[in-house]
Amino acid sequence: MTDLVPVLAAVVPTLPLVGMLLALLARTPRQANVVAVAMAVPTAAAGLLLAVISLARGGQPALRGQWYLIDGASGVLLAVIAVVGLCSVLVSPAYLRTSGRRWTTAARSRSLYYGALFLFWAALLAVPIAGNLAAAWLIVEATTAASALLVAFSGRRDALEAGWKYLLLTTLGLSVAFLGIIVLAIGQANAGHHNLHALDWRALQAAAHAMPAQPTLIAFVLLLAGLATKIGWAPVHNWLPDAHSEAPPPISALLSAALLPSVMLIAWRVKEILQPSVGASTTRAVFIAFGLTSMIVAVPFLWRSLPWKRLLAYSSVEHMGIIGLGIGFGTPLAIAGVVLHVVGHALAKALGFYATLPLLRIQPKAASHAPNAVAAQSPATATAMGVSLVALAGLPPSPLFLSELLILLGGLAAGYLLVSAIAVIALALGFLGLLHALVEGVVGDDRGHRRRRSREERPTIALTAILGTGMLACGLAGVLLLPGSGFVDSLARGAL
Amino acid sequence: MNGLLVTTMLGLGLAIIVVRRRSVGIALLAAQSLALGILALDLASGRSGDYWVAAVLLGKAAVLPALLYLLIRRTPEARPVAAAAGPMVRLAAAGAVALCAAVLIPPLGLEAPHTEHTAVALVLVGVTIVIARRPILFQLLGLLVAENGLSLLAVSVPGGLSYVIELGALFDLALIVTVAAAFAQRIHSDLGTGDTELLRGLRD
Repeated sequence: MTDLVPVLAAVVPTLPLVGMLLALLARTPRQANVVAVAMAVPTAAAGLLLAVISLARGGQPALRGQWYLIDGASGVLLAVIAVVGLCSVLVSPAYLRTSGRRWTTAARSRSLYYGALFLFWAALLAVPIAGNLAAAWLIVEATTAASALLVAFSGRRDALEAGWKYLLLTTLGLSVAFLGIIVLAIGQANAGHHNLHALDWRALQAAAHAMPAQPTLIAFVLLLAGLATKIGWAPVHNWLPDAHSEAPPPISALLSAALLPSVMLIAWRVKEILQPSVGASTTRAVFIAFGLTSMIVAVPFLWRSLPWKRLLAYSSVEHMGIIGLGIGFGTPLAIAGVVLHVVGHALAKALGFYATLPLLRIQPKAASHAPNAVAAQSPATATAMGVSLVALAGLPPSPLFLSELLILLGGLAAGYLLVSAIAVIALALGFLGLLHALVEGVVGDDRGHRRRRSREERPTIALTAILGTGMLACGLAGVLLLPGSGFVDSLARGAL
Repeated sequence: MNGLLVTTMLGLGLAIIVVRRRSVGIALLAAQSLALGILALDLASGRSGDYWVAAVLLGKAAVLPALLYLLIRRTPEARPVAAAAGPMVRLAAAGAVALCAAVLIPPLGLEAPHTEHTAVALVLVGVTIVIARRPILFQLLGLLVAENGLSLLAVSVPGGLSYVIELGALFDLALIVTVAAAFAQRIHSDLGTGDTELLRGLRD
C-alpha cells in the first residue's frame, strides 16, 4: 500500500483544487451543490486512504518524498480534515438555502462560497503532509486569504469586522513566524545549505544539533509566537471568538476542528526539531505557558451566557490550550491524550457548529443571544447540542474525558505537579461553565414553544448519530490502542 | 549604497506612520518597495532565481501601489479619518520601537548587522502602523511595510533564500492584498468610510 503514497500525496490536495475550479464554473446554485458534493466524496476518500496507510504503519519511521512527509501525526490530521471537510460540504446546502444576505450577488455567491471552501480544504489537507517548514508556512498563509472571505461571507457588518480582524491579525502573526523561518534559513545558509531543501523537516532535524543556540532560540520563539496567533492560543487569540462566531457554521467547524490543530502540528514539529539546540526545558516551558494561559483565559467566558457559536469559540481556545499542554508535557501518556483529544475535539466541535443551522431556524435570536430551552422546541437539535457540550465538557463517556485524563497523568509522570494541579482546576471550572450552558440553554424551561415536526429533524438526528458514534468509537479505540503503543511512543520521541 | 538604501527604507516606513493623506502613504510605500527591489538586484549573487526575485520585487513596487491607488479612487473619503494620536506621538512610538529593535535584537547571523536591525525594525514599525492608524488603508500599508522588512532580511541571506520561498511568499502577499482590498471596498460601501474604529461591534 505504501507504493500508493507518492500518488496519494499529490492527489489529496489536488482533488479539492479541481473541485474549486468546477464550483467556480457552475452556472446555477443547484449545479454548484452537485459539483461540491461530487468532488467532496472522492477528496475525503483519498484523504482517508492516505490517513489509513499512514496510521497502519504504527510506530514505523515516517514516509518521506521530495515534497512530502507523512508520519502518524499527519495520518491523524488527514483523517480529521477529510471527515470534517466532507461533513462541512454536505451541510453547506442547508446553510446556503437559508442564509439571507451575502457578500456578493445571490447568483454568484454559491459558486464563490464553494470555490473558497475547496481552496481552504485543499490547503488544510496539504499542511500535514508538507515536508518543508517554509512550504507549510506558505500553505498556512494561503488558508488565511480563502478563509477570511468565508468568515465574512454573510456580508453583515459584524462578519466584515470579524473577517478583517482575522485577516490582519493572523497575517501579522504569520509574518512574525516567517521572520523565525528566515532566521533559521540564515543559520542553514551559514552552514552551507542554501536551497529550498535546507528547510525540509529532515534537513533541519539533521542540522539541529549543530545550530547556534542563540539565533535558534530566537527563531523558535518567533515561530511559536507567530503560529500561536493562528492556533488561537491566549493571549494572541483575539480574532478567534469573532471569526468562529461570525463565519458560516460549516466554515466555523473547519476553522476550529481542522485549521487550529493543523497549525498546532507545525508548532509541534518545530518544537521537536529545534529541541536539541534550544533545550527541552525551554521548548516544553513555551508550550506549557501558552497551553495553561489559554485554558485559564477561556474559563470566564465559558461561564457567561454567550451566543452558542461564541461559546464554542471560547471552548476552542480552552481545547487548544489542553492540546498545547499535552505536547509540552511530551510523555507518551500525554501524547496519547493529545492524539485522542485532536480527534474527539474535532468531532464534538463540528457537531456543535453544525447544530447551529437548526438552532437558528427555531431561535433566530440565538445568533446574538444565548439559546434558550431548545429541547422544548426541537429535541433533535437539543440532542446534537447536548452531545457536543457533554463531549466538550469532558463528561464520560466522552473521548475528551479520557484524553484529558491521559494528558494530566502524562504531566504528573513528567513531574509537572503544580502545572497539572492548575490545569485540573481550570478544566473543572470550564466543565461547570459548559454544564451551566447545557442546563440553561439546551434543557431549560418549556415556555410553550412549538415543537418541530420530526421530519425536519431527520438530518440533525443522522448527523448526531454519526458523529456521536464516531466519538464513542474514538474513545474506545483510544483506551484499547493508544497508551503504550509503538505509534504513540514514536510520536513522543518526535518521529518525523 | 546598500547601507543608504536600507536606511532609506526605514525612513520611508517611519514616514508612513506620520502622513495623513492615503495617496502620500501609497507613494511612500512605492518608494520603499522600489528601494527594496534595487537592493535585491544589487545583492543578486548570479543565480537566475535571485534575478527573478529582484524582478518580482520591482514589479511589486509598481503593481501593489497601483492596486492601492485604484482602491482609494473607489473608496473616496469626504474628510481624512481623525487620528487617535497626533503624528508626533505616532512617530515617537514607531521610533522607539525601531530603536528597541536595534538595541535588543541579538545577532541573527548576517554579516551586516545594520540590515538585520533595520529589517526587524521595519517589521515592528509595520505592526505599530497597524495598531496606531485607524483607516483601513493605512492598516494594510502597515502590513506591507512589515512584509518589506521580511523581504529585506530574505534577500540578505548569504547566498540568498530559496527563490521558491520568496516567490511563494510574494504570491501569498498578492492573495492577501487582493482579499484585503475586497474587504476595504465592502467595508467602505457599508460604513461610508474606511475608519476601522467603527468596526467595534463584537465585544464580550
